[in-house]
Amino acid sequence: MAERRRRKTETRKLWDEDPVRIPFQRSRKRSGVLVTVILFGFAVISLRLVNLMVIDHKRLAERAAEQYTVKEILIPQRGIIWDRRMREMATSVEADSLYAVPSKIKDKRNLSRELAPLINVSSKKLNMTLLKKKDRGFIWLARKLDMNTALKVSALRERSGYAGLGFLTESKRYYPKGFTASHILGFTDIDNKGIAGIELMYDEYLRGEASSVYVNTDARGNSLSGDVREAASGNNLLLTIDERLQYIVEKELSAAMKKWKAKAGVAIMMNPATGEILAMADRPAYDPNFPGRSRPSQRRNRAITDLYEPGSTMKAVLAAAALEEGVVGLDEEFDVSQGYIVVGGKRIRDVHKHEILTFPEVIQKSSNVGAVQIGLKLGKERYYNYIRKFGFGKKTGIDLPGEVRGILRKTEDWSGTSLAALSIGQEIGVTPLQLLAAYAAIANGGVLMKPYVVSDIISPAGKPVRSVSPTVRRRVISEETAAVVRDILKTVVEEGGTATRAYIKGNLVAGKTGTAQIFDPRTGRYSRKRYVSSFAGFVPADNPRIALIVVIYEPKGSVYGGVVAAPVFKNIVEHTLAYLDVPMEREENQIVLAGTPR
Amino acid sequence: MIDRRLLNNFDWSILIVPIIVSLIGVMTIYSATRPVLDAEQESFYLRQFYWIILSLFVFFVVVSIDYKWFIRFAYPVFISGILLLVIVLVAGKKGMGAQRWINLGFLSFQPAEFFKIFFILALSRYLSGAGQATMLGMSELVKITAAFFVIPAVLILKQPDLGTTVILLFIFTAMVLTAGIRKKIILIMVIAMVVSLPFAGNIIWNGLKEYQKQRIIAFIDPQADPRGIGYHITQSKVSIGSGGFLGKGYMKGTQGPYRFLPENHTDFIFSIFAEERGFLGSAVLFMLYFFIIWRGFDTAKKARDTEGCFLVLGVTYMFSFYFFINIGMTLGMMPVVGVPLPLMSYGGTALLSNFMALSIIENVRMRRFALYY
Repeated sequence: MAERRRRKTETRKLWDEDPVRIPFQRSRKRSGVLVTVILFGFAVISLRLVNLMVIDHKRLAERAAEQYTVKEILIPQRGIIWDRRMREMATSVEADSLYAVPSKIKDKRNLSRELAPLINVSSKKLNMTLLKKKDRGFIWLARKLDMNTALKVSALRERSGYAGLGFLTESKRYYPKGFTASHILGFTDIDNKGIAGIELMYDEYLRGEASSVYVNTDARGNSLSGDVREAASGNNLLLTIDERLQYIVEKELSAAMKKWKAKAGVAIMMNPATGEILAMADRPAYDPNFPGRSRPSQRRNRAITDLYEPGSTMKAVLAAAALEEGVVGLDEEFDVSQGYIVVGGKRIRDVHKHEILTFPEVIQKSSNVGAVQIGLKLGKERYYNYIRKFGFGKKTGIDLPGEVRGILRKTEDWSGTSLAALSIGQEIGVTPLQLLAAYAAIANGGVLMKPYVVSDIISPAGKPVRSVSPTVRRRVISEETAAVVRDILKTVVEEGGTATRAYIKGNLVAGKTGTAQIFDPRTGRYSRKRYVSSFAGFVPADNPRIALIVVIYEPKGSVYGGVVAAPVFKNIVEHTLAYLDVPMEREENQIVLAGTPR
Repeated sequence: MIDRRLLNNFDWSILIVPIIVSLIGVMTIYSATRPVLDAEQESFYLRQFYWIILSLFVFFVVVSIDYKWFIRFAYPVFISGILLLVIVLVAGKKGMGAQRWINLGFLSFQPAEFFKIFFILALSRYLSGAGQATMLGMSELVKITAAFFVIPAVLILKQPDLGTTVILLFIFTAMVLTAGIRKKIILIMVIAMVVSLPFAGNIIWNGLKEYQKQRIIAFIDPQADPRGIGYHITQSKVSIGSGGFLGKGYMKGTQGPYRFLPENHTDFIFSIFAEERGFLGSAVLFMLYFFIIWRGFDTAKKARDTEGCFLVLGVTYMFSFYFFINIGMTLGMMPVVGVPLPLMSYGGTALLSNFMALSIIENVRMRRFALYY
């Protein structure tokens, strides 16, 4: 078999190479030349292949990747802000933004005339803009239109067939409660960047990661990635604010503002045990959905940015300091029958004349003369230390932007009258929040807590990112002292106190009024007409659930804290206790003063 | 009809290697036209596969007939081919800006594709008779040029189909040179070409269609207008280059499916193949093509007579020119002339005509001992 095969091959070879058989050797020779040419051709294309695929590979591969991957910037969804019971305070909604491609708009004048009134600009200005940027491929005409306007504009576009107008959907910040808690929440700019309030303070958490992804696209620009691409959304915030309490506070504050034709008002409610802010209201207010429609004065969070002289509300701090230092006894009597006292050449008067007052009565009746005597007994160094310890002259550290330190001069800068003035709450600038924090310390047994408004930061997936726990700043006074001060403050709302209008049936209220003339730093004098009327306190007095301060700036008609601020306090507290289901302690309040702490 | 002894001499490599190449073609077409969005896979690959089956059938039919019959009927076949070209111009189907197809209802084909085979037949017959003893003279050259080349070239240019015309010119020149021309004539022709180039060049340039002009400009400078006509060349180079040494892997190429490279399943199928299979795959593919071409020349050398020799040389030249022009085009070494890669590019008529060419090689090769029988 193999032999046969071999022979066959040999015969074929002989045949193939038989020169006699082929009379066309010349042609064969020439075709040989062509074979060489073809071999040469293979060499050339192979070299070219090496050139492209090995040497130039990197550059060309990059080129290929470059043309089928497109960088897409994903705008993240800003985080939601919830109140403590997960009610939405700030969220994001989709809104249509109108853009123009000026080069495609033929009849700019007519378009401007028809479009301008819809988007609230003058047609002249719109026309100018379109003409000025006529070579541009894209300009915004109106960002984040409300739905009605968007519908009107798109109807106009359909009707008149204007080319070069289009909508893009953007994410728009939306505050469903409108004015409510606007000073805490703050607002964002058109690009969803936090500008004020929590939106500013927690911007880095809320804004999310503006990520960019590389998307495969074909030559016509169609995206080829089927999976859903979402930017990393911002984290959500859980506030300590209770929207219902906030509502109650704002409603009562607004009513008082109206009643007293006041210039401004602040009310802050806090859990004294933890420092959680339950409500923080400012008047005047604004709608964070339309921040541009408000004046800066409406947007200011006076609770932390504005200073005032606390006046008599400071006497609680004075009493606490005097008791803690043991410079006064509870039964100690002060002669205030003169009606005034002269310290360092300055005469300090009482509003009402009294004869002899015990130490608690000095506070209850808010006797300036008595308070100055207590202050003098305490001495400036010790009093100053307590003022510092209660947190005045320093930021409370609340997680809101724009907080101020307040004004508290060092003792070496004090004048001869400073100690007396400070005893009645003058020569000191405090924020309402600082004062509330001090009262909360008295309420909770002597510990100064750091106030805060954000309790939890929660990832979009629902996982906790950060959880804030109450922070103790320091112990200011002993529990015993705090208990005694609480007892004294209870008497303020009782018969004979300055704030009987803050009396609540069923629960004991502890608090203190304040009526302070406004010190004008420019003239260096106290105004005779402009007052700040305030009331700070907590309830139930023996087991305080809330601490609350109400500050009314420049009320007209009456100026006294007991008249202006105390009723607001009472109304807020009544609604709050009902909402919080705080049980009534007794049918009729009785005042039982505790014994001497020692 | 087929002698058993003939079957013994059947060279399987001439059939098997092209089948492998054409199946690689089907796979590459599948990958090139695969949908990336949720659209359906287009049926190009399936149609190509059916054409392969048909081509194999035709291959065996052609192989079973002794090529001496082809030679005998070469002139009538050539004339009927010319007639078909006329019919295309009169009643052909238009597609993509050219009138190249004859529609038979159930299928449509491009007569120009078959005509190249008829052209080779007729030329082989003439040259095997004429160029035996003496070299071709001037008058003879002019005569055959007019008869065999000018008439069909004009008809095909009219469609217009520059690619096929260029291929015809190359085949004609190669075959005439193989047959032998007096050195004096070659010299005169070269001088005449050099002298007339400025004038002829101008006339040719003005005679070109706009897209043809653009292709030449694009070849000279592809970056001149990267999104325009040079786009083709640039994208082809990007496709091939991004394949690298080992390639991106089958079905992993992006240039075709993402539609960056137009004509990716027809003229630029090699770019897609190179992108996915890399330098290694391309080198193997080149070897397969080289084998086929070498087998052709080897067969021409061993043919039993001059007719067979010219016939095989003709189809081998055709195959080689197609291969080199197409590859040169995809590699950016030649202008884009719309020439498919034999056996791989999508296109039924071209596939069939390529298999017919191969069957002619086989035909001549298996019958080279015929004188003994």
